[in-house]
Formats: sequence, structure tokens, C-alpha cells
Amino acid sequence: MALDPSMPVLVVDDYKTMIRIIRNLLKQLGFVNVDEASDGTAALNMMREKDYGLVISDWNMEPMTGYELLREVRADDHLSRTPFIMVTAESKTDNVIAAKKAGVNNYIVKPFNAATLKSKIDAIFGEPS
Amino acid sequence: MNQVGGTKAKRKPPSARRKAALGGNDHSVTAEITLLLNTLRELAAIRSTAEDAAARILDSAEGLLALADKEEAEKAEEAILAIMTACGFHDLVGQRVTKITETLDCVIASRLTGEKPARTKTSAKIGGEITLDGPSHDSTAQDQARIDALFREKN
Repeated sequence: MALDPSMPVLVVDDYKTMIRIIRNLLKQLGFVNVDEASDGTAALNMMREKDYGLVISDWNMEPMTGYELLREVRADDHLSRTPFIMVTAESKTDNVIAAKKAGVNNYIVKPFNAATLKSKIDAIFGEPS
Repeated sequence: MNQVGGTKAKRKPPSARRKAALGGNDHSVTAEITLLLNTLRELAAIRSTAEDAAARILDSAEGLLALADKEEAEKAEEAILAIMTACGFHDLVGQRVTKITETLDCVIASRLTGEKPARTKTSAKIGGEITLDGPSHDSTAQDQARIDALFREKN
């Protein structure tokens, strides 16, 4: 999978501050086509309307969590191959394993820095960090 | 021999002790609940203040990013991105405040009904085997290293 900075990226978080931070970091990494959603339901609707090259999602949101979004995405034939990074304050091992089993590509624990986000994106797309 | 701290005769009967534990009378329960509600208001103010602060810091950082001198652009960009990512404190403060708020809500409901405190909304809402704990009390660097190791493992 090649890294294409022009690909659409969807950022999902119920905190506007976090969306703004991730959007700025992505912009500095060269991603200019960034959309946002405030929970899993909104994100899923957007994903069914537009092909995203990457989803970066929080876990703890209402009404649909990031974990539920991940499971919906992996169960949908059209969306199942979309790269998915979880960015969350949840660091409990059981939850990380559950997300991994559900098919998450990478997992970032908050608070994080620009280098961590870049390295996880690069790892998914096979780019050297 | 007298017992240290008073005599058995002065101890309240179990029903009276339970009543005392529940607030003793309506007046003290009302006073306690007023205190808890005031605490909830303070927590809401903390969350709002943190959000305001994060938004203003981000406004400034975005302005700086646009103005960064070309010769020092890389260093400036690094510093500005560090400021921006630090604004994530708002999310973590918000999540911790939410946990406290939900706990106080449970305490208030328990005091009003006299029933055992219920699970907080955050811990109960996921259902099944997965519960959410919010931000951990461990170092983030250690958390990320442990998670990265889990992802390096095959299945």
C-alpha cells in the first residue's frame, strides 16, 4: 500500500481540540484532504459516501464508539480494507488486544506527539520513518 | 474497665447509625447534595476553562506556524507542533473530569435513594467484556512501548 498524501483522511473524535490537533499534524505531514466526524455513526455514514485512504479514530465516543466503528468497517466488504488507526487514552492491555483482534492497523495512546503519529502512518503504508 | 473513646452505652443503635450514615435527616442530605452539586459546577467550569485555553493556544500556534521564518522554519515548526500536541491536555482533562462527574452523579443518586451506588455511565455503557477506563495513571511512553510490543507480536 503506497502512501499518497492527496488521499482523503477521516479523523473521528468527539473533542474538537483533538480533531484540530490531528488535522494540523496531518497538514504538516502533507495531507491536505482531511474530513472530520464527531462519532462512529457519523464516520460510518461518511465512509459509505466517500472512499477514505485512512481513518484515525478515538475510541470513547457516543453514540457509536471507535471500537464499534472499527468492527462495522471490517465487517463491510466495501470498507474492510481501509487502514484504521486508533488514537485513544485507553491503554489497558485487554482493550488493545481487542482492537488488534478487531483489525485495527495501529494504536496510539494519548497524549502523543507528531513523531508517533508519523511513525504509525508510515508503518501502515510501508514507508521508512 | 472503660473503653478508650467512650462507653458502649454511648454507641448509637444500628438503625440510628445507618440513618446517620445516610445523612441523619433531610436537612443534612440536602446540604451534602448542595455541596456535591457545587462540586459538579466547578468541574464543568474546569472543563470549559481547559477548552477555552486549548483553543486560544491553538489559535496562537496556528498564527505562528504561518509566520515562521523560512531559515528557522524547521525548528519553529517542530516547536509549534509540540505546542499543538500539548493542547491534547484538554481531551485528557475532559475525560478525567467526566469520570469524576459521573462518580459524583452516582453518589448523589445513591444518597437520594439510599441504594448502593451504581456503576458510572462510562464504565457501564460499553457492555460485554470491554470496559473503558479513560486515561491511565502510568507513563504514556511506557504505555506506548507496551502497545507497540503487542502489535509486533503475531496474533
